[in-house]
This record gives sequence, structure tokens and C-alpha cells, in this order.
Amino acid sequence: MKDMRRILIVTVLVFFASFALLSVGSIQLSLSDLWQSFFGGKDAFIVQNYRLPRTVLAFLAGASFSLAGVILQSVIRNPLISPDVIGVTNGASLFAVLTIALVPDGPLLLTPIAAFIGAALVMLALMMLEGGGNVSRSSFALLGIAVSAICASGTEYLLIKFPLQTNDSLVWLAGSLFGKGWQEVMILAPVLVVIGAILFYQHRQLDVLSLSEEVSIGLGLPIQRTRHIFLALAVILAGVAVATVGAIGFIGLIAPHMARRLVGHKHLAVLPMALLLGGGLLVVADALGRGIHPPLEVPAGLITAIIGVPYFLYLLRRERTA
Amino acid sequence: MQRKRLIFVLLLLGCLAVYSSLFFGITQMNPIHLVQEWISGTTSKAGLVLTNLRLPRLLLGLLLGANLAVAGAIMQAVTRNPLASPQVFGVNAGASFLVVLSLLVFPSLGTANLIYFAFAGALVGGVLVFSFASVRGMTALKLALVGMAIHLLLTSLTKGLILFNDRITNVLYWLSGSLSDASWLELRIVLPWSLAGLLLAASLAKSLAVFQLGQDVAVGLGQKVTRIRLLAGISVVLLAGVTVAVAGAIGFIGLMVPHITRRLVGEDYRIVLPVTAVIGGLLLTYADVLARFIAYPYESPVGIVTSLLGAPFFLVLARRQMKGGLR
Amino acid sequence: MRRKTWMTALTLLVLSSLMLAACSGQAEQTNEKTRTITHEAGKTKVPEHPKKVVALEYSFVDALDELGITPVGIAQENKTDVSGLLGKDIAFTEVGTRQQPNLEVISSLQPDLIIGDFNRHKGIYKQLQKIAPTIILKSRNATYEENIDSFKTIAEAVGKTKQMDDRLALHEERLNAAKKKVDPNDDRKVMVGVFRADSLTAHGETSFDGELLEKIGIENAVTKTAEPTVTITLEQMVKWDPDVIFMAEADPKLLKEWKNNPLWKQITAVKNKDVYEVNRDLWTRYRGLDAAEQIVDEAIQLLQQK
Repeated sequence: MKDMRRILIVTVLVFFASFALLSVGSIQLSLSDLWQSFFGGKDAFIVQNYRLPRTVLAFLAGASFSLAGVILQSVIRNPLISPDVIGVTNGASLFAVLTIALVPDGPLLLTPIAAFIGAALVMLALMMLEGGGNVSRSSFALLGIAVSAICASGTEYLLIKFPLQTNDSLVWLAGSLFGKGWQEVMILAPVLVVIGAILFYQHRQLDVLSLSEEVSIGLGLPIQRTRHIFLALAVILAGVAVATVGAIGFIGLIAPHMARRLVGHKHLAVLPMALLLGGGLLVVADALGRGIHPPLEVPAGLITAIIGVPYFLYLLRRERTA
Repeated sequence: MQRKRLIFVLLLLGCLAVYSSLFFGITQMNPIHLVQEWISGTTSKAGLVLTNLRLPRLLLGLLLGANLAVAGAIMQAVTRNPLASPQVFGVNAGASFLVVLSLLVFPSLGTANLIYFAFAGALVGGVLVFSFASVRGMTALKLALVGMAIHLLLTSLTKGLILFNDRITNVLYWLSGSLSDASWLELRIVLPWSLAGLLLAASLAKSLAVFQLGQDVAVGLGQKVTRIRLLAGISVVLLAGVTVAVAGAIGFIGLMVPHITRRLVGEDYRIVLPVTAVIGGLLLTYADVLARFIAYPYESPVGIVTSLLGAPFFLVLARRQMKGGLR
Repeated sequence: MRRKTWMTALTLLVLSSLMLAACSGQAEQTNEKTRTITHEAGKTKVPEHPKKVVALEYSFVDALDELGITPVGIAQENKTDVSGLLGKDIAFTEVGTRQQPNLEVISSLQPDLIIGDFNRHKGIYKQLQKIAPTIILKSRNATYEENIDSFKTIAEAVGKTKQMDDRLALHEERLNAAKKKVDPNDDRKVMVGVFRADSLTAHGETSFDGELLEKIGIENAVTKTAEPTVTITLEQMVKWDPDVIFMAEADPKLLKEWKNNPLWKQITAVKNKDVYEVNRDLWTRYRGLDAAEQIVDEAIQLLQQK
């Protein structure tokens, strides 16, 4: 019950904060202006067409990265893992930049689909390289880092070989919500809702998986299949998220940690908390990006990296097992 | 591998490297004509390209490759971590970041002075990664994670700098590592620092054996270990720093070459270090030749080539690590 | 179980209400008379006489100024860019950089026409369209002729075609006058390069300045390039061996290093001391009609000063 209360408190906090942060941007609004803008008036256009979809998207994307992180950390049983570490984010970026470079005037949906395929391919590659064996050792993480590095090199190569077509990629690669709107929300929302629902219903399986292997087997869980299914879900979530907002890192790492610190290890509580915290974090990062130095925008991904890395290092110091 | 055979192969590879580096490129060169020129004392344009571009480039490639490889070898010995290298340790990223920052703040800084910033950056990056990764024992994974984090932080900061400063967008090319503007001047600048670093490394060769004896023995030897670590650190900063200052962040050489060397000649660092230096130099030279041809007639950054070569290598390494530990 | 369902339902409720709110906030369409303009990203209905124009590229600002229109919003990186371009100070609102224009600021100006660059802004064309009728034209990394076409389209969009035609005719006259000043027996090949500490870029015969110079009879040494501007090395410069070099940015450190490089000294331009420093903004960044005429005058003056 303590957890339930905490979750409710955080929910309220996140929603109010997100709402308030809608006022931040090149055109600074007061809270009453903000309230007015929902009903029309001179600020309505900005709030309804830019800030609102961005904030909603930020929340959804942050939540997606966070849930993907929860899955990865539980299934691979390594608290230092996240979609960016494991190469999913970089793989998605690589394919996205590849499509932008080869088909610069392609349809708008092409890039997100390509990004998603990239993420999926990385995961498949990892599972194959791993030899279909046990997915829970630190070696898997090492493999992920290696693949991540390969994808990053590939992306760098493309950026240099096609500098003019991939001009925008620089901003995209850092991960930014610039120019994103309801279209992206429509792509991500159903994915998050569906996968989120699946996760909530299967929270007990996640609990079991995150325990030791012997226990899982002992409890009769078809380990391999279950692991692979959950990993697939994580990849879909992270892949689609990257497809919509670019390669934003560290949310999938930090939010699950913070969630666990607040509500313990039971996934019934961790999942909603991680979702809220992840969403809230990205909303804040995006708001910061808008408000730091108007009219210039700092990509949200840059902010999450700058805040995320020190936190990550701090986590490392506290971590007992690696 | 048998010593004689090894020396023979290296010599062969060396000759090939020298030949291709000197004579391949967009300027047509006929080696026979050039030799005739040399004998008769005349100069043609091709001859000038040879002596003013290709030759310093070859020498620089050999030297910087050696620098990086030796730096990697030392790091791997001292940290007993097969993934250690200037790149993973954030040394490259740190140096790059500070160099970009200084290019912004002091636009007319000469290469000779940029080096100091590179050193400072290399130091900062390396120290950060080392201290965070060694908390509660350094494992391969931890090092990789911390290195990745610091690398990400520094490259994000660097990207941030680039995004907001229209003037330096081309620095991206340089950041990937490039030897295309190698000149005698650069060689002259790089040489003293490289030699200092290499000699320091050589003097440590025997002492590095201490680390292989295991953590407990090393602790027992206390003071000595700290001193070796310190000297090793200085050597790495010198070697990696000067390389980044002149050619940008070239990755994977420091990671791959020590492994290759150890497989060929074993663990005695008195032999490993010089062989590593040679192989490192050769590898970078070959990569540089490749870099001239990927996008012919335009040059690609050599760092891209080393990444393309090195990343799969890294993958194989990670896989081996998985199957039961490497040394 | 209950908590999960509750959360999902809440999220869905919030999302749908937000979306409803959003849908009702679309930009109002005015009933002013419009003109359909064809541009690089499609066709747009532009009001007949736009009063508030936002320009996202310097050459567009130049064109608008020629037509007597001051944009309400301009994207610029350095504070001195626009005043340098026009040779005077004008009042406008900065809407971010050309690379990343700020959609919020643009929309707050309530423009009735937005002009964006094909190279930089085609990705946000749809978002710009939501704010106001938008046309996307070629400027960056485009040829001289493409830039002239862009000016014509701008004139069409603001309903001042005659004025632009007159100005272009004047431009042609000036170019022809310049062409006459060029010595037909002078077959020196020129190269326009940007020499920075970290990179070397050459502007080939298909670039704005390259094509412009070709038009008045000054040949370019950099031919058959894949793109209008290319990154090069010293070796490549030696291969092309230009007779004249216009340095559109000259990093002093780089020049110092090269002064003693025998290869650099081999280049015909260097041997004949035909290396001139020119203003980078003027030669490569502005790409306006005034800029073009100034480039031409400067080039001829430098070429003939001996």
C-alpha cells in the first residue's frame, strides 16, 4: 500500500509538472496564460500545436525507454543495462540515417520504420551472436556495447559520406523533439499502451525472471521463450521510441533505477513508477532544452546525456554487482 | 609464432605498407621515374608530392599508429583488462573535446599549442574513467560501461558545441581522425612527445610483469605499483594526447593491436611493446591507404576505416570474453 | 489488476481529451485572394500581397529587400549577418538559426508567408505549412541559376514580378558589362576555396560563386565535382593547379604552415602571387544579387590589378 501511495503521489507530481512546463519556451507564458490557451486566444496555436504534442510525445517516449530498460534489466539481470547500452538505440539510428542518406526525399514514415528495423536487427544479431544460449550474463552486455560501437561507427561514416543529405541528422541523432507533433504521438501511443498492458499483466513473470536462473526453472517457466518474448517487447518499445524522437539515451537506464529505489523490486509497482518517472524525465529535459537559450533549442538527448552520465557514474559507485 | 618468421612477415608487410602509402593516391606516380629523378637531381610535381605529402604522411602514420598501439598495450597491462584502450578509456574523447573547445575559444591557436589542450583533455578523460571504473574492482564490463558513458558525455558536449557554432561544423571530419593534412611540420611537433612517451613505455616494460602476477601480489608490492601506474598514465597521456592533437580521435588501434601482438609473441612485455609499436604503425598506415580509396578521389577520415576494421574485432573479442575470459 | 486498468484508462482518457483540444485549435484560413506558387516541395496557395514574411535564408532576405519588402522574421546565426548582407540595419525578429528555426517564434509573428531553403528546411516543410503558407526554394548548395530561379519565384509569390524582372535585367546588364572587362585572352583558371584550420573546401564550377564567375567568362579550375562544394586536400589542389585562388576564409595558422611547404609553392597561383583573400560572407554565404554583383566586380578588380 505504501507503494500505491507513492505511485499516486508521483503521478500527480508528474502531471502537474508536465502541465506547468508547457509554459516554458521561446515565448514564455505565465500559468494563467497557459490555462487560457487551452480554450483559444493568441497563445493557443503555440501551446496546442507545439508544446502539447511535444510534451505528450516526450512523456510517451520517456515512458517507452524506461519500460524497455526495466525489461532489459530484469531479463538480463544486470542493472547497468539499457536500450542505449545494448546497441538498440544506435542500431535504430544507423538505419534511420541510412534511409535519410539513400532516400532523402522519401515518405515521412520511412525513417521511423527503418529505425525500428534497425533496432530489431540489432537485437536479432545479438541473440544470434550469443549463440542462443543464456541471455543473462554480463557478456551479453559486452556484446551489446560492441555492436553499439559498430553501429555508431557506421552512422559516423554515413554522416561524413553524405553530409548534405544527412544535415538534419545531427540534431536527430542527439535526440530531439524539435518539430515533432501529433503524428508521432499517434505512432507511439498505441505501441506503448499495448505493450504496457502486456507488461502489467505479466508482471509476475518479470519478477520471476529477475531472480536467479535456478529459481525460474524450478518454478516451471519456459525460460528461453519467455526471455525472448520480453526482449522482443523491449526492442519494439525502444525501437519505435527511437523512430519517433531519435536517439535519446539514459532514460532507459536511470528511470528504472529511480523507480526501484522508490518502490522496491516488485514489478507490479516498478512498472508504473518507471513509466511515470521516465516520462517525467523526458518532459523536463525537453522543457529545459526549449527554455535554456531561446530561440535556440538544445536537443533533449544532449540534456539527458549531460545529466544522465553523472547519475550513471554515481550509480556505478553504489552498485554492488556489475 | 617463430621469431624469424615473424620478423620476415613484418618486414614484408612493412615494405608493402611503405610502397602503397608512398605511391598510391590521386597524383599519378611512377616509381621508376621518381628514382631517376632522384638520381639526376631534378624535381617534378609528383616528386614534390612524394617528398612533401606522402613521405611525412607515411612517417606520421607509422609513428601515430605506434603511439596508439603502445598506449593500448600499456593500459591493458596495467588494468589487466582486455578492453582497455585510449578510446574506451575516454582518453580520446576527452582530448577531442578539449581540442574542439580550444579551437572555439582560441581560433588561431597553432597545432603546437593545441597539443597542451589535448594532453589536458586526455588526462581528464582517462582519470575520470579510471576512477569510476575501479570502484569496487574493475571488471571488463564495468570499464566498457564507464568508458562508454564518459565517451558519450564528452561527445555530446562536443556535439553541443558544434551545434551552436556554425563555424566549426567541419570539425566533425577531423574528429573522426584524419591524416590528410600530414606535413613535416606536424611530424616535427609530434616527434619529441611521441618519443618521450614511447621511451617511458619502454622503460616500464619489465615492470609491467608485476601486474600479471595478480591483484594480491601487486597489492603486496604496494608503492612500486602506484609508481608504475603513475608513469604508465603519463605515458598514455603523452602518446594518446599528441595523436589526437594532430590527427583527431583514431579509434580501435589501441584496442586491437596489443591483442594481435600478444597472440603472436606471448606475454613478455619487453618483446610485446616494440612489436606492438611496429604492428600499430603498419595497421594505421594500411588504414590510411584505404582511407584514400573508399571515396576516391576524395579522402575519408582514417578513423572511419579503423572503426570499420576494429568494430567487428571488438565484437569477436567480446564474444571470446563471454566464452571464458581472455587475458 | 485494478491499478493497471485504472492507469491505462486514465492515460487513454487524457490522451483523447488532449487530442480533441488540439484538433479544435487549427490555424484559421483567411478569405484573402490567393495565388498558387509552385516550388521545390510542391504547390502552395500564397496570399496575393503578403505583408508579413519570414525568410529563413539570407539570399531570400536579399531578394525581398530588392522588392522593397522587409521580412518580419529572419533566421540568422551571427548578429551581424543581416546587416552585413543588406548594408544597413533593419528591424526584424530573430527566429532562430537557419539550421534550426524556432517554430514557436515564427508562429508568434503570425506571418502570411514563409520562405524556406530546400537543403535545410524541407524536413520541416509540413510544420511550417501549419503556421502559414510556405514555399521552399533552393539556395544553399545550389547553382547560380537555381538561385536566380528562386528569386523569380519569390517575386511571383509577393506579386512583384515586374520589379524583379527589372532588377534581373539590370543584373544581366551589369554582368555583361563585367564580362566585357574580362580579357578574352586571359585563360586563367580560378578556384574559390574556404581554408579553415580543420578543413579545406573548394567551390566548384556548379556552385553559386563558381557558376557566377563562369558566366562572365572566368573559368573554374575545379571541375566535374559530385557536389557543388567539396572537401579537398592539398594534394588535390596541386592536381587541379589553379592559376588564381580566391580565399574565402584564410586561417592564419594554416597559411603560416603552408608558406614553407614546397607543394603549396608549386601551385601556379602561388607562384604568380595570384592568391587573394576575399570576404567569406560575401562570396559564399549571402548568395544575393547584390552579393553576386560585388563578387564579380571584386574578382575582375583582383584579376586585373597587375
